[in-house]
Amino acid sequence: MEEKVITVTSGKGGVGKTTTTANVGAALALLGRKVVVLDGDIGLRNLDIVMGLENRIVYDVVDYVEGRCRLRQALIRDKRASELYLLPTAQTRDKTAIAPEQMVQVCDELRKEFDYIIIDSPAGIERGFQNAVAPADRVLVVTNPEVSSVRDADRVIGLVESYGKGPVQLIINRLVAARVRRQEMLSTQDIIDVLSTEIIGIVPEDEAILASSNRGTPVVFNGKSPAAIAYRDIARRLIGENVPLAQPQTTSWWQRLLGRTE
Amino acid sequence: MIAIKGYRQGLLIVLSGPPEEPWLTRLRELESKLNANPGFFRGGSVAFDAGAMSLSEDDLRRSMALLAAHEITLWAVLSRDEATRAHVRSLGLADRLEPASTAPASGSSPDNSAPSAVASSPHAAPAEEGHADATDGLLVRRRVRSGQVLRHPGHIVVIGDVNPGAQLIAGGDIIVWGRLQGVAHAGALGDDQAVVCALDMSPTLIRIADAAYVPRPDEIRSRHRAGSAETARIEDQQIRFIAWDKQLRAFE
Repeated sequence: MEEKVITVTSGKGGVGKTTTTANVGAALALLGRKVVVLDGDIGLRNLDIVMGLENRIVYDVVDYVEGRCRLRQALIRDKRASELYLLPTAQTRDKTAIAPEQMVQVCDELRKEFDYIIIDSPAGIERGFQNAVAPADRVLVVTNPEVSSVRDADRVIGLVESYGKGPVQLIINRLVAARVRRQEMLSTQDIIDVLSTEIIGIVPEDEAILASSNRGTPVVFNGKSPAAIAYRDIARRLIGENVPLAQPQTTSWWQRLLGRTE
Repeated sequence: MIAIKGYRQGLLIVLSGPPEEPWLTRLRELESKLNANPGFFRGGSVAFDAGAMSLSEDDLRRSMALLAAHEITLWAVLSRDEATRAHVRSLGLADRLEPASTAPASGSSPDNSAPSAVASSPHAAPAEEGHADATDGLLVRRRVRSGQVLRHPGHIVVIGDVNPGAQLIAGGDIIVWGRLQGVAHAGALGDDQAVVCALDMSPTLIRIADAAYVPRPDEIRSRHRAGSAETARIEDQQIRFIAWDKQLRAFE
């Protein structure tokens, strides 16, 4: 099967799922793919804000599931790319408004029209997470280089495997090579030692992210910032291009090595 | 007669006896077993094998209540009696051992822990997950992740790492051919001769029968640095670690 439905999840909150969804989705669209990003966080929606499309929401996915609109009416087109859409969620409902089977059905509809459906999972491992993972062909787990985030990623990877979903690929987000060198932050190798999962991207800590989220402009649209480059690389790996893993890893490895010989 | 068996998805409790024996008698026998070994069962989920006995809905409710009082979930009841199976289904329990579905949607899957642990990846070479209903041991050849629990009345052998946040609970010995960072409880049905062996012994907590040992963080780090294979066992009512040594040999 073509891997069209990609779920972005993490277990822990605040590690960068929504930013990742917005940027990977936008980057795929900039590569000429037809993409929809779907907010899985019913009741705490954010993806529309990060995408800068908040004020264009009329209908949402819950309206569609409950029969108040057609799917096309709920889709919001992002004009910054040729074929990029947002399917927002409801802000006034909770996770039980949608069942996993309904998410599968929504995604089956979207599969007919889109190359990629990127789902932004809520934090946690309860209903919202299960909704987000149920239709997935591929799962991206976002983790930060710190112990509690890696622990939650480990839990989530175990659950995803038990659902028979996968392959799981890892995004290490907010890495600061200098802090890894000072051993304040887990290294890529430390994380692989625990998770033993394929890494699809390493995104460095980047000041541009905060401003871009607040402005509603994902960094991949105009940035040459380190995070923008890393997100574009992830998108290229998703469509099957062979892009070597970005510099932070090699840098930190080299510098760790140098640090030892000094 | 009560027998506890391990199978791929968790624990199976076989309640057998003369057909005229009332169900309550068997439940009482089970209760004393649960009381004797709380550490083994707590937090788990089990299936009953009631054989040919005919059980009423009330019998089943009582069984669920008894288990719930011990923090155990009853998820399936096997029976050769059709009326009993109907009661089982009407209470929302499974009447067979295959998990209804591994999909996230499934309401009552066996154990929050055991199935996701033992039968974690059905697509990844299930044959490796080992003996379908072996009572002597459970062999798992993969990484055991945070939140996953392997529970078996016999021995547990893991070929792979046991991550922090994972738990192994065995009636017998525990052998980890890899790095043990989670919680290991050997002899959880009362056997104080049981041992825990690991190539890299960096556990969060080790328990053997009723004894427990929590390594200090600095101790874990130095153990990890030393990187020697170790065996934990009870000596003088305390858990002690013995490094594997070619010359000395931990076990004669």
